[in-house]
Amino acid sequence: MLLDPGELRLAGGAMLAAGLTLPALPGHPSFHCPLRALTGLPCPLCGLSTSVEETVHFHLGDALAANPLGVLLVLVAVALLVLRPARLALPRAVVPTVLAASWLFELHRFSFL
Amino acid sequence: MTEPSYQQPAYQPPAGTGPSGPRASFGRRLVAAIIDGILLGVVGGIFYAISRPLGYAVQLLITIAYLTYLEGSPSGQTVGKKAMGIRVIDFRTGGSIGYGRAFVRWIGRYVSAIPCLLGYLWMLWDKEKQTWHDKFANDVVVPESAYPVESWPG
Repeated sequence: MLLDPGELRLAGGAMLAAGLTLPALPGHPSFHCPLRALTGLPCPLCGLSTSVEETVHFHLGDALAANPLGVLLVLVAVALLVLRPARLALPRAVVPTVLAASWLFELHRFSFL
Repeated sequence: MTEPSYQQPAYQPPAGTGPSGPRASFGRRLVAAIIDGILLGVVGGIFYAISRPLGYAVQLLITIAYLTYLEGSPSGQTVGKKAMGIRVIDFRTGGSIGYGRAFVRWIGRYVSAIPCLLGYLWMLWDKEKQTWHDKFANDVVVPESAYPVESWPG
């Protein structure tokens, strides 16, 4: 599948900026997972704000404990900003596989698995 | 013996390419959503200051009315989308999605938001740059430059 590198660079840049600034803001604003609030079950993206914030502040242990995907996303975002690829293609299975792996990790972290 | 053919084969778009037409970018859609969020938040906030339950009720009703009317209108543009030069159109016909599907799109926003906004982020890797609520209402969000608006709100 073909991805739009410009879009992902923007989204990745926004993610890095949020990871750097949110913890410094008064009250440390964060997004609470509606799925977890409603059902107690974590979603595939749970733990990512924590993980991205800890990664960009070089607290790798805390980042990996919250969700290893956050570390990967930071690395990908930095790579997109530095390397600025003109074209980006991924095998179709990558997104569903990564989301499934992240979800399994979170389900295990919250003791559902 | 057959003559070699020098004729060009008919153009076939290669498999696994981008969307079937121009699409609104993630950045524009994000800013449009922030503008609409501020507008609706300010109006809701005024009523919220008077009374909490009233604030919730008014916020809900104005949000439904605002999104259903403006995204279901022929322009397919909320104030935020108009400011960012983007609009909602029917994926199949390119016309308006109408008020019924605009209402479905509003409900779909909740589904998109429940797994930590995964349904919104979906557009980053979707072929037609569709969020989940775009898929439920069978619409796409496109730049006004490629799909001009006749009148606003329509």
